[in-house]
Amino acid sequence: MRLLIWLPLVVLTLLVCSVLAALLFHVSPGDVWQALGSSETRFALRLSFVTSLAAVVLSLILGVPAGYVLARRRFPAKAVIDTLLDLPLVMTPLVAGIGILFLFGRDWLGGYLAGLGLRLVFTPLGAVLAQTFIAAPIVVRSSRSAFESVNRRFELAGQTLGLSAPVIFVRITLPLAWQGILTGTILAWARALGEFGATLMVAGATRFKTATLPVSVYLNISSGELGAAIAGAWILLAMGFVLLLAVKLLGRTGSNAFAGRGGTVLP
Amino acid sequence: MISLRTIANSFLHDINLDIHDGELLALVGPSGAGKTTLLNVAAGLTGYTGSVSFYGRPVDRLPPRSREIGYVFQDLLLFPHLSVEQNLLLSMRRLDIGHPEKKERAYRILEAFRIADLRTRFPHELSGGEQQRVALARAVVARPKLLLLDEPFANLDFRTARYLRQELKKQQRRLGLTTLFVTHNLAEARELGDRIAVMKQGRLEQKGTIEEIWFQQELDEIGFLEKPNILTCNYAVNLGNGLVEVGWAGTRLLVPDDGVSVERVAILPDEIYISAEKAMGPPINRFVGRVSSVNRSDGIVQVAVSVGEDTLRVEMSPEHFLALNVAEGQKVHGILKLRALKGLGA
Repeated sequence: MRLLIWLPLVVLTLLVCSVLAALLFHVSPGDVWQALGSSETRFALRLSFVTSLAAVVLSLILGVPAGYVLARRRFPAKAVIDTLLDLPLVMTPLVAGIGILFLFGRDWLGGYLAGLGLRLVFTPLGAVLAQTFIAAPIVVRSSRSAFESVNRRFELAGQTLGLSAPVIFVRITLPLAWQGILTGTILAWARALGEFGATLMVAGATRFKTATLPVSVYLNISSGELGAAIAGAWILLAMGFVLLLAVKLLGRTGSNAFAGRGGTVLP
Repeated sequence: MISLRTIANSFLHDINLDIHDGELLALVGPSGAGKTTLLNVAAGLTGYTGSVSFYGRPVDRLPPRSREIGYVFQDLLLFPHLSVEQNLLLSMRRLDIGHPEKKERAYRILEAFRIADLRTRFPHELSGGEQQRVALARAVVARPKLLLLDEPFANLDFRTARYLRQELKKQQRRLGLTTLFVTHNLAEARELGDRIAVMKQGRLEQKGTIEEIWFQQELDEIGFLEKPNILTCNYAVNLGNGLVEVGWAGTRLLVPDDGVSVERVAILPDEIYISAEKAMGPPINRFVGRVSSVNRSDGIVQVAVSVGEDTLRVEMSPEHFLALNVAEGQKVHGILKLRALKGLGA
C-alpha cells in the first residue's frame, strides 16, 4: 500500500523517458551527428538563439514594469487587463500568429511600418515579435508575484531615509524581487526557444532565412529528413532541460533567500 | 522645536504637541491609543489635518523623503539584501558629502553603538539586539531633524532592552537629537524621556515631566499596569533640613520635603528593596511585611507584600528575584528608598 503512492510518479516518469528513448532510437547516431554539423541546423540554432534572446530582452523591458504596476497600483478594469495579458499563455500559438500576421500584414499596422522601412512579416524580426507575444506574459506574471512578495514597508522605510521613488525601486524593490523575476525570465526564454506555431505564421518557414530550430524540425519532418529533424529536436530538448534545471536549482537555493530575513510580507 | 498643531485624522483627535530641541519626548499609552499614527503623521506617512512644523517651517506639503527624519520602525525594516554598512550608506544618499566621508561617518556611528565589527554582516546574521542597534544607527547617521522611535525595544529581553535604552539615551544626548519615542511601558518612558506625553483613544491626555505624570492618579484610568504605590499617612511632621516625617502602617518614614503638606506618599514599585534577612545600614524607612503573591510577567517579577493593612507592589528583574530566595507567605524586610519617596498633598 505504501509503495502504491509511488506508482503514478513512476508511470509519468517512464512515459517521458520512453518518448525521449523513442526519439533517440529512431535514427542512427551517425545520422544525428551528421545533421548536427549541417549548415542548416547550425543556422537554425543561431537564429533561434538570437531571436529568443531578443524576445526575452523585449519581454523584460515591457514585462517587469508592467508586473510592477499590476502588483503595486490600483486602476479601473485591472482584473480584465490582467486576464488579457494572460491570454497569450492559453491561446493556440497558431491563432496568435494569424492575429499578428493580420495586424502587421500589408493592410493595418504593417503598411504603416513598411512606409518607415520596417518589415516584420516573413523576416527574423517577425520571429522575435511572435516569440515576445508568447513569452512576455510569463515575465509579467512572475514579476508581478515577485513584487507582491516584497514587503511594502521596506519601501516606506526607504522613503523615511530620504530616498526617491526610482532609487527605492532600483536599490530596494528590484533586488528583493530579482530571484522571482529571474525564474520567470528563464522560463520565458525556454518558451521562446521552443515557440513554433506563432513563429511559423509570422516569420514563415524559409530555410536559411526565417527557419528557427523548431520550424527547421518541422521542415525536415515534412521532407522526410528524419535524422536532421531529430537532431534539431535533441538540441531543443537539451536546452530546455538545462533551462528548467536552472529554474529548479534557483528555486532551491534562492527563492526563499530572504525568508526569515523580513523579505516576505510582514503582517 | 517640532510643533504639531490641531492634528486630526480618523485615529487622532485635536493633538497639540511640542518637542523641544534636543529633547527626548516619550509618548506612552495603551495599544490602540494612536501613538504610531502620530509618529506617522510627523513622518508624513499618513494623511492628517492640522499642521506639523520643523523649526518654524511647515512640512505638511513635504513627502516623507523630504522631511529629513530618522524612523526606527517596530519591525526595524533593515534591508535584508544589504550589509550593515550598505544599510547606513543608503540612508546617507541625501547628504551632500563624498563617499569616503560617508563611509567614515558610518564607521563612527557604528563604533558609537559598538557594532563597528559587524559592518560587513547582513541583517539575518545578527542577533535581535544587534539588529536593533543597526536600525538606530541607520536612523541617526544622517543627523535627522526629528528622530522617531516606535517601541524599538519591545521584542528584546529585559537585560538587552535595559542596556540598549542606556545606549540610546547616551547617543541621543551626544548628537542632540530631537526625539519622539513611542512606548507602552511607563518604566521605559521614565528611564528615557525628558518629558512624557500620555495618549488614550487618539487623544493627548497629559503631558509633563516624569514626576508630574507619574504621580497623577488619573493613570489608573488610563489602565497602565505599572503605577506608583500610594501610601496614606496618619500623621506628618516637618523636621526641617528638607525632611518630613510621616507615619505609615505603624512605621516612621522620612520623605523629602517638597513644600507640600504631606497626606500621602508615593513610591514606584522598583524603588522598594526587599530581602529575607534584615539588611545592613541605617534604620530609616524600614518595614517588615509578608509576601502575599508573586507574579512573573514580561521579564519582570511583581511581588505583593502586605504591610499592616496595606499592600505594597514591588518589582524586580527575574535574576534579582531568584537571588532573593523568598516565596509566598514568607516574612520579608524592606526599605523604601528615601530619595524615591514623593510626598503628595490632599
